Amino acid sequence: MISARIGKLALAATAAWGMAFSAAHAADITFWTWRQEDKAAYTELFGDFTKANPDIHVKIEAFDPANYATILSTALAAGHGGDVLHTRAYGALETFAKAGYLLALDPKAVPELANLPADALASETLRADGKVYSLSFASQTLGVFINKDVFAKAGVQPPATWDAFLAACKALKAKGVIPLANGTATAWMDEVMASVFINPFLGPQFVADIQSGKASFEDKRYTAALGRLLELRDYMPPGFTGVDYATSQQLFLTGRAAMFAGGSFEIANFRKQNPKLNMDFIAPPAPSAGAPRYVSKFYDGGYAVNAKSAHQADALKLVRYMGTPAYGTKFAALLGNISPIKGVVINDPLLAEVAKLNETSMPYIMAVYFRFDSPTGSELLQSGLQKMMGGSATPEQVGADITKGVSRYYKPFQK
Amino acid sequence: MKGEWLKNGAIQALLLLNGFVMLYPLFVMVISAFKSNAEIFTSPFALPAGFDLTNAARVWNETSFVLYLGNSVIVTTASVAAILVCATMAAYAIARYPFRLSGAVFLFFLSGLMVPLKLAVIPLFIQLDGLGLIDTRAGLVLVYVAMGLPSAVFILTGFLRTLPGELEEAARIEGASELRIMLSVMLPLARPAMVIAAIQNAVPIWNDFFFPLVFITSDRLKTLPQGLSVFMGEYNTDWGVLFAGLTLAALPIMLVYIALSRQFIAGLTQGAIK
Amino acid sequence: MKPAASRRGAAAARRRGLWIGFLLAPALLVMTLFVAWPLASAFRYAFYAFNGLAASHFIGLENFRAVLFEPPYSAWTLRALAHNAIVFVALMLVQNGLAYLIAFALLKALPGHRVHQVIVFLPVVLSAVIVGFLWKLFLHPLFGLVNQALMAVGLAAHPWLGDGNTALGSIIFTNAWHWMGFPALIFLAAMQRVPREVMEAARIDGATDRALLGAIIWPLVAPATTIIFTLTFIGSFNWFELPYVMAGLDGSPGGATDVLGLYFYRTAFGSTSAGLQDFGHGSALAVLMFIFLAVVSGLALRVLRRREIEL
Repeated sequence: MISARIGKLALAATAAWGMAFSAAHAADITFWTWRQEDKAAYTELFGDFTKANPDIHVKIEAFDPANYATILSTALAAGHGGDVLHTRAYGALETFAKAGYLLALDPKAVPELANLPADALASETLRADGKVYSLSFASQTLGVFINKDVFAKAGVQPPATWDAFLAACKALKAKGVIPLANGTATAWMDEVMASVFINPFLGPQFVADIQSGKASFEDKRYTAALGRLLELRDYMPPGFTGVDYATSQQLFLTGRAAMFAGGSFEIANFRKQNPKLNMDFIAPPAPSAGAPRYVSKFYDGGYAVNAKSAHQADALKLVRYMGTPAYGTKFAALLGNISPIKGVVINDPLLAEVAKLNETSMPYIMAVYFRFDSPTGSELLQSGLQKMMGGSATPEQVGADITKGVSRYYKPFQK
Repeated sequence: MKGEWLKNGAIQALLLLNGFVMLYPLFVMVISAFKSNAEIFTSPFALPAGFDLTNAARVWNETSFVLYLGNSVIVTTASVAAILVCATMAAYAIARYPFRLSGAVFLFFLSGLMVPLKLAVIPLFIQLDGLGLIDTRAGLVLVYVAMGLPSAVFILTGFLRTLPGELEEAARIEGASELRIMLSVMLPLARPAMVIAAIQNAVPIWNDFFFPLVFITSDRLKTLPQGLSVFMGEYNTDWGVLFAGLTLAALPIMLVYIALSRQFIAGLTQGAIK
Repeated sequence: MKPAASRRGAAAARRRGLWIGFLLAPALLVMTLFVAWPLASAFRYAFYAFNGLAASHFIGLENFRAVLFEPPYSAWTLRALAHNAIVFVALMLVQNGLAYLIAFALLKALPGHRVHQVIVFLPVVLSAVIVGFLWKLFLHPLFGLVNQALMAVGLAAHPWLGDGNTALGSIIFTNAWHWMGFPALIFLAAMQRVPREVMEAARIDGATDRALLGAIIWPLVAPATTIIFTLTFIGSFNWFELPYVMAGLDGSPGGATDVLGLYFYRTAFGSTSAGLQDFGHGSALAVLMFIFLAVVSGLALRVLRRREIEL
């Protein structure tokens, strides 16, 4: 019955649309993505799908990530675009969903939505109508990568508290190693690094206070935590304000730096670039011994269906397939990312560790709560961090700028 | 004169220094294409450890390099040719015939320079879609012609204005038609400006990947920068491959420029009054 | 005037009109279809509120008010505009000034000048992407040749692109390296049209090179200066690719390299790792940039043209 309804929907859509965009044959659907490096893995995953659904072939179109949003929004505005679309999460998803470009995923039509945890569903929900528009594909965890060999050679133990962290940095630096690979030249990496180190100082109570309006980013807890980052400057690469993301990665990969504050999305990439790298992914240092070491967590994005797709029934079939534990298990194994689907088996030891760290996690605050309106918390924080680390702003100024900027739309701060 | 000799020596030395500053980065670009990622980061300016062609081979084997190259050649040549023809005609009308709206027409063309055409990507897409030109080379060429016309009209008008009127008048008295005057009297004198306008447009068109990314989806129609951008996305942290790709993409137009440089310079200096 | 003559006159005028129309038609058609119309429809968005990516309703000048007067947007707009102005002045002085001198040096036709003409223009054929990459590597705080050279002579290394005080200057320098050949050859082409007799006469009168450059050549190449000034002005205020490659969409560090082109692009198309797409604000910015450029370059052209005619 459901499929009959979908079939009718698809028929209506086809009629309304007139002609399919790409002159593909009837059973061809296209998947649009910005993950060019994952093309091979998706080809394999979709191969499994076609084995189960011999009449549906999936064609992958991978686009330049920097221009993906523009390409996608332009095509969708003209009524074109892929049938199944890779979308981002949170505010970026909302811009597409609000415009009516995506098909709302009805839990009856896509029962696999029940396989996802609540925060994953929330990341792909349009807050205005409460409907889910995309099926989450991966969660990302922010923490600290360490090079075990470099640590062993310097005779340093991976640190568990902030003081131990600074002591370890000092010891590593004395051995001629750059303790922390991160630079500040690439704006978004500043937010990643900041979140890694400040979240354990903030704790979940701070997040609750921000949401209720009891605290703003001018709160002592926040500015003091930002101030901690200044202590790291001695242990970052020389000239770190000019060190960009690619350089930081290389410093860590070549063993010139001992640690790299980053996201679990690096794991696959690091392994590909240096298969011999003996690395570990650990939680950031706790403010004091025994306190929880919160990692930051967020969802990357999801799989959505083009509202004007001529093959909606087939597209939905593919999305349903991508919500199954079997898909998630293979996805995690092939791409080295954590699938949020319940019942997924993670065999990779490092990924399994990350999954374990997720049990003590906090949201990646700006991405999860403050990327829905302009100016986003992320733009304000990233620019503020670059100034602060470069010495031209204080933590208090950064906190005040963010609070002032987001107050434009954030109700709890408007009191 | 000794002073003159000394001064010319100093000028020559400065020109040599300038030549070095201009060429050295290009040299680094080429040697980087032969290096591994680690080598680029640890010793970026040293000669490569070996004449390693793996990076270039990867670009060559894993993309349809020749196909993309062919598309880029077709699109760039067609666009530049159309820009030159249309812009020369329009500039000639504006520069050589006083007519009532000439100022307004000139400003209309110039206004196309004032704002990035990227802004209009959605209306452009819908426009091309309506004409059935999405995912065609012709559509891309039309967009490039539109993008290049303003600066070409501007440069050509500026040069055509400076041509002396006597030649034109003399030809007119002899009874030559306006078309004949334009083609065989005036335009040969405008060659330097046409050469400048052609190069000034060919470079950004050759290098553009934004419009093909949005307007072209078929692999067989992709241009070189577009095709390579996908490839480089897959190796986004492998700078050796990146440099190999960038060098291979830049090489054709550099070779064409060097091969044609004699004509190019001759074209520029042809207007010289000896 | 006799009727027959005036009829002949009218026919000639009509023929002349047709001929001018024929010359203008193809260019005007393409411009109207693929520049004027699409831009006009994009400009329309400046007057609309947006619901995500789709325009929702007309809001008059609200978007303009926001980008001009509402913090933090107003501060960002002003900062970007100031940076563009710096870029323009610096490029006029450094890039075009040097180009003028190099053109003069080449005009002397010393041995090797032909090769140098080819070399000086070579970077112009490269894409901004490759030039940006190369210079990022040269200016790199850890491996960059610039710092290695500084350290070799006992000076301190400096994160050129990471320090807010030097980042914009570094990108301007790179732009000058990339584009200098273009004004140099335009100047050279113009200088070669200065009649030899004029220069030789001046020399016989004892004019030095400096006097020659300032008093004789400079006024005579006025049309070339008009072209270079206008293109540099418009290019500086539409500056996008090089800062995008070297400093990122956010104008790192902390907005020290933010220019109108980046700000407009970031606003209209969004930055995946920080901001959202806001076509309303983005279009308003583009309209403002358009008006500013059209008014200033219109006025400048008037002044520059008058200067050309006076000669």
